[in-house]
Amino acid sequence: MNAVAQAVATASTAPLQVSGLTHRYDSKVVLDHVDLALQPGSVLGLIGRNGAGKSTLIRAMLGLLEPQAGQAFVFGEPSLKLSDAAKERLGYVPQQPDALAWLTAAQMFDYLSRFYPRWDHRFVKDTMQRWKIEADKVMAKLSPGERQRVDLARALAPQPELLVLDEPASALDPVARRELLREIALRAGEAGATVLFSTHIVSDLERVASDIAFLHDGRLLLHCPVDETKERYARLWLPANVAAAAPASPLGKRRHEDGSLSVIVECDANGAWPEAAHLPGARVDTLGLEDLFVEIAE
Amino acid sequence: MDASLLTIQPASAEPIYRQIVEQLRRLIAGGQLPPGELLPSVREVAGFHAVNPMTVSRAYSLAESEGLLERQRGKGMTVAARSRPALSQTQRLALLEPQIAALARQARELELPAEPVLRRLDKLLKE
Repeated sequence: MNAVAQAVATASTAPLQVSGLTHRYDSKVVLDHVDLALQPGSVLGLIGRNGAGKSTLIRAMLGLLEPQAGQAFVFGEPSLKLSDAAKERLGYVPQQPDALAWLTAAQMFDYLSRFYPRWDHRFVKDTMQRWKIEADKVMAKLSPGERQRVDLARALAPQPELLVLDEPASALDPVARRELLREIALRAGEAGATVLFSTHIVSDLERVASDIAFLHDGRLLLHCPVDETKERYARLWLPANVAAAAPASPLGKRRHEDGSLSVIVECDANGAWPEAAHLPGARVDTLGLEDLFVEIAE
Repeated sequence: MDASLLTIQPASAEPIYRQIVEQLRRLIAGGQLPPGELLPSVREVAGFHAVNPMTVSRAYSLAESEGLLERQRGKGMTVAARSRPALSQTQRLALLEPQIAALARQARELELPAEPVLRRLDKLLKE
């Protein structure tokens, strides 16, 4: 299959797919040829430091921003020209929701529910009660955490097949965050929804994400299943006298003051680490995602 | 068995599905989970620990393929009924090997002599 046919085939099966996305603000490159496709039913955690380009990527994926180069598809349709039918199947929560802030939550739900045939009134009612949010308060007067939860309920109520959350947990306390993660996990597992959520809090992602993507300086450094990431990458530490034998690594290398060296290494298909791991004094440390993220992003 | 019996540490370098399998292996080897014991559903475990249901399914399938669990039609997963002789002490000790190796390594890194470490361990074991 040639590259174009392949891209078309992927776009028709993947709920969300982008290729070659590139974008600049003034002279700063925010997205640098990003290719990414989400498999149906997967939960992708998009991780990156503040300013890594996560929100720009999400906005370009959904057609809320026109990238300078590259293409984005939602359910196989070009994101910039989404049909109403595709929009009905998509739920999106921006980082700082502020739409319709002059309405009360109850008014907003009532208004929006008319546009969505699958709107789940019961879910909204239960959720608002469980989260103890006053539905008849003007949304502009809610706290940031309350406002974020109202918007999550808003996005989940139409039972979307694709759910995109930009830093959904940023204003939530630990209990609310855990509850949100549970909701994401069960939606994906049972309703078969596909979820993309961005975060800079690694522990959020480790629980529920099936896949992880590292975005750093506008480039996608890594995209693979969470379990595999933990099993495939490790930190190799080499003492100063053998540091010169360090294998090349695209993912990060650090020289320490005493001349020793840490480098992120990948195991081969048989689970074996590079040869340098057997040098005298060498040590291989398995890494949690947070450590791996710090090593790569520094 | 209740879903709360499992402990999940998302930040660990060990993938969550492996953490679940290892715990089941230990609980079964130690007899806390007798043959025929019904396991919580994938949904219960995923909901209780707020983890991805696919991770739990993967753990159950792996445990099934290793003969630890059996899928009972219409019932769910149970601890395998196959009356397997209880694991010998050597076999049970082998299950602890990774943790012991990690402890030994950390003790060496801290330049601790064996004796106080063993004394402390001994005390903990007798608690």
